[in-house]
Amino acid sequence: MEQLPQILINILYTAIIYFIIALSFYILYFSTKLLNIAHAAIITLSSYFFLSFYSAFNSLLPAFILSIASSTLSGLIIYKIVFYKLIKNNTPKWIVLIASLGVYIIFQNAISLIWGDDVKSIRFADVKVGHDFFGAYITDMQVIIILAGINFLILSLLFYRFSKIGKQMKAISSNLELSSIFGINQNRIFLIAFGLGSCVAAISGTLIAFENDLTPTFGFNLLLYGVVAMIIGGVGSLWGIVGGAFLLSIAQNIGAYYLDSKWMDAIAYIILILFLLWKPLGLSGKRLKKVEI
Amino acid sequence: MEYILHIVIMILLYVILSQSLTITSGYSGLISLAHAGFYGIGAYTSAILSVNYGLPFLLTLPIAMLLSGFSAVLVSTIALRTVDDYFIIITLGIQVVAFSIMNNWMDLTNGPLGIPGIPAISILGFEFTSKISFLLLTLALTIFVFLILRNITKSPFGRILIALSEDEIFTKSLGKRVYQAKIASFTLGGMFAAIPGVLYAHYISYIDPTSFTIDESIFILSIVIIGGMRNLWGSAIAAAVLVILPEALRFLGMPSNIAANMRQIIYGLALVIMMFKYSKGFLSKNYVGQENK
Repeated sequence: MEQLPQILINILYTAIIYFIIALSFYILYFSTKLLNIAHAAIITLSSYFFLSFYSAFNSLLPAFILSIASSTLSGLIIYKIVFYKLIKNNTPKWIVLIASLGVYIIFQNAISLIWGDDVKSIRFADVKVGHDFFGAYITDMQVIIILAGINFLILSLLFYRFSKIGKQMKAISSNLELSSIFGINQNRIFLIAFGLGSCVAAISGTLIAFENDLTPTFGFNLLLYGVVAMIIGGVGSLWGIVGGAFLLSIAQNIGAYYLDSKWMDAIAYIILILFLLWKPLGLSGKRLKKVEI
Repeated sequence: MEYILHIVIMILLYVILSQSLTITSGYSGLISLAHAGFYGIGAYTSAILSVNYGLPFLLTLPIAMLLSGFSAVLVSTIALRTVDDYFIIITLGIQVVAFSIMNNWMDLTNGPLGIPGIPAISILGFEFTSKISFLLLTLALTIFVFLILRNITKSPFGRILIALSEDEIFTKSLGKRVYQAKIASFTLGGMFAAIPGVLYAHYISYIDPTSFTIDESIFILSIVIIGGMRNLWGSAIAAAVLVILPEALRFLGMPSNIAANMRQIIYGLALVIMMFKYSKGFLSKNYVGQENK
């Protein structure tokens, strides 16, 4: 096992990516309780926006800010046009899920119409080999993503614990009717949740775009990994999501080492299925939705 | 002429696919995104059996249906541990696992290279090599499946399915076996989805995993939803419209890759619009209307 340090780094890196994606989805899911597939479109969109803005301005920071701002705006617009009315009508969850799937299809195809289906990548002039780190290689961007992930964890822990909006989200999440009696504006909180979730998704999408190649569907695959991490972590807590992300990453990397990296998709879902069979409450033990009779 | 026959055959295949999903998703309300998986199981079973072992169509068809039905039993026992929107996510996961197996299990399925040289269907010495004969065979099977499905939906079992999708607990309280009925409807859908799979494999004479992706599943589900969920004729019409749509767009002078994207954008939009319609209780009203006839 001389590749052990490299495998450990890979596990850490993929786990952090899954965590960031899962977090962006969780922010949305936590208060609205909607599995919003259209979220994947925001991840993809942000990286393509970045690609265009970067080639237009040729400097990092404005492109970064503009891409995040425009992707967050798209998330809010999606909420306002589609989800706002569906939530107001008190629609069954699966209908909202299918509607979000429809929105995702529209966005994915619009992206491939505008930017093309071919693989794109964001590369700077010089390709760096990466730093030697105890016999493993790690690139600058991977370090930045790992640090960003840790920051996201700390910020979100603080956010849900101390900020007023975070507390209101918690209140809405635990009891919607009671929280509205206490004067919490549900619509406003949902809007903020969509905005924040899209913002985090946009940041993660842009960061990941530096490391991965861009295709119109890459956000969808990433989001599904994030959702798997969220479900196996138990949809209740942030630490559960961290656990879920690491578990998923460890299983995938070990699977890739012993079998082949092409089985990574299957491994993720087999873990999800195993969890549903034997540990339906997830790592954190909070109740996953089932029929309540 | 050949071209028109080809389109009619494709329409008929999608009519069987969407009508089989109508039982699962429309009548018993189990929205499944794994249908292309069963379609693929049918196609691969028949292809492997007829290419490697030279089995005739009359044998491979029932074997494919049984195998697909058996996997549907397995899949539904796993997926039915969840409900509603989580059920959709689980079936999505199962679809990804199924695709991953078709794409990666080189020894069995020949991976992304696909299986070439699938012989034409021959029944009692008659070879269905010409398009018109194949069309008649497909039409016969489509009518056969349609009659079976219509009888099922009009039978007491069909009424149990409608009842359990409207109110599961109430149906249970009437002493109906809800869980078994759900598994049965899922299995029926899976079994009938194998038929177009078998036909497709022999018709194109070459299959590869890209015909059985998650996009295909979404497409089949869209047909069912646009066709009105519990409407066999509606699914048939929707299938015809959605299959003809890209051809019509191409006829209007659109390049074929743009036409494919435009079709997806149009059915994505249709999905969202249908969901808005259903969110106001369209589904149950529609059903009451049917009963009064």
